[in-house]
Amino acid sequence: MAILNEKQQLMRRIQQESFALVEANLYLDSHPTCPMGLKYFAQHKKEYDELMEKYAEKYGPIKAGQSSTEKKWGWVTTPFPWERGES
Amino acid sequence: MWQYEKKLQYPVNIKNPNPALAKVIVSQLGGPDGELGAALRYLNQRYAAPCREVQAVLSDIGTEELSHMEMIGTILYQLTRNLSMKEIKESGFDVYFVDHTTGVYPIAASGVPFTAATFQSTGDALADLNEDLAAEQKARVTYDNILRLADDPDVRDPIKFLRAREIVHFQRFGEAQRIVQDMLDSKNFYAFNPSFDKPD
Repeated sequence: MAILNEKQQLMRRIQQESFALVEANLYLDSHPTCPMGLKYFAQHKKEYDELMEKYAEKYGPIKAGQSSTEKKWGWVTTPFPWERGES
Repeated sequence: MWQYEKKLQYPVNIKNPNPALAKVIVSQLGGPDGELGAALRYLNQRYAAPCREVQAVLSDIGTEELSHMEMIGTILYQLTRNLSMKEIKESGFDVYFVDHTTGVYPIAASGVPFTAATFQSTGDALADLNEDLAAEQKARVTYDNILRLADDPDVRDPIKFLRAREIVHFQRFGEAQRIVQDMLDSKNFYAFNPSFDKPD
């Protein structure tokens, strides 16, 4: 596997946390009262929110709503994820 | 509603273009058991789901399928970068190229464009969920076949991830089916359609 730079490493961490949330979400849809599932989701949600905020601050928005509105619309200043090395 | 996130669900970084491989992987975008069909199947079926749990399963799996469609689109985009005319002709990609250049278009590997005729929305939750279980298995088989055709580890890695998701979705649809059955007459699961007949 290629050596990842700092930005790519942070993106990987977000993808990991985001995936944990997708998995827990689907599981909780059919097991909505499972205490372990609920706890697992809450733990990863906290981590995910922190990483998303950190990434947006350092490297630009992952969601359009995180865009800078000062001088230029931040959403169009960063690459889309189908470009190599961007996701 | 939906909100886009500028990231793939799982990384796709393909070093070596390979148009011959793109020509078969395109089936998981627009083919009979592809990700676009999966997303549209679940996101349209969900209105007939008789309880919140099953509405959630269909909404959330349907949403995840959209992110898989994006991963397949990315694989196709990266496999068809910087091609020479010689590579296009020799790989057999020319028959796709003539209509679409290297644009990403939902089509089966056989050349049949995407069609909603490959899936159903019956308005009956049990019929729909049984189709959904089959759909996940059929998509898993397509990924098995792609893995038989692809040698490049950069391609195999995201394809293996997508294959594993079909198995997880199959599991969740099995649970959704059990939830619907538990709501019905246990002596005859098929006595009525819980989405339409609504007996007291």
